[in-house]
Amino acid sequence: MVQYHAGLDSAFAAVSDPTRRGILHRLGRSDATITELASAFDMTLTGIKKHVQVLEDAKLVTTRKEGRVRYCRVGPRRLDEEAKWIMTYQAMLEARLDRLGTFLERTKGERP
Amino acid sequence: MMTATRNQTKVTTPAERQIRIERVFDAPRDRVWRAFTDPEQVAQWWGGDRGRLVIERMEVARGGHWRYVEHMPNGTSEGFEGRYRDVAPPERMVRTFEWDGMPGHVMVETMTLEDLGDGRTRLVTTTLFHTNEERDGMIQSGMEQGVNQSYAALDALLAREA
Repeated sequence: MVQYHAGLDSAFAAVSDPTRRGILHRLGRSDATITELASAFDMTLTGIKKHVQVLEDAKLVTTRKEGRVRYCRVGPRRLDEEAKWIMTYQAMLEARLDRLGTFLERTKGERP
Repeated sequence: MMTATRNQTKVTTPAERQIRIERVFDAPRDRVWRAFTDPEQVAQWWGGDRGRLVIERMEVARGGHWRYVEHMPNGTSEGFEGRYRDVAPPERMVRTFEWDGMPGHVMVETMTLEDLGDGRTRLVTTTLFHTNEERDGMIQSGMEQGVNQSYAALDALLAREA
């Protein structure tokens, strides 16, 4: 059984963002450079570097520099599909409750 | 245990495979309950900002089926569904939750609403995740128990007949 507990907080923070989940998904297919990721996600180099840094801190991505090019690959920590789904679910639920809060605020007094 | 506070939501993971989220809404309990059980209201907040939520089924009663489908602008859609296990208005609802993208990974959501007495409501959701192995194990043990009960009933019947 996979332990979801250890380091769950940093991993959760890392995958709670759709772009970072996309990066993990992309790196799951093959390694990529920062430049390739930036173009794949239509982001600036600085923007993508920030996301990669968060993933690196959570040990979900490893980078290595060759000359002026930085390569990214998944690992050393690997999340199986289910762990990713659990974290996605949690992020979705939180976002949903945010929307419920907004909805209740918006319709205040309007409904019985 | 992990505790994190994002926005006004308190998230804890009291046990592995369990997520507990607690949040206070500035609305009376009946309103919060209706926001979860009236399809017309659910359609207005449950889905993401990008998509359009269609409530395909929503039978809010024990054993009832629910299915929501979120239609994205790019033409794709994502479905979520499950069954209500317990419905006790306006304070408790238990239902299963399954996403089309991860078929077989059923989770059980328990929601309780507490009237704070000042027009606010505390919502607590606890979600329990099961692995396929655990679920299969549960089904198996449940069946064993059922079979044993049947055997006991048969034994009793045979004892009376004798």
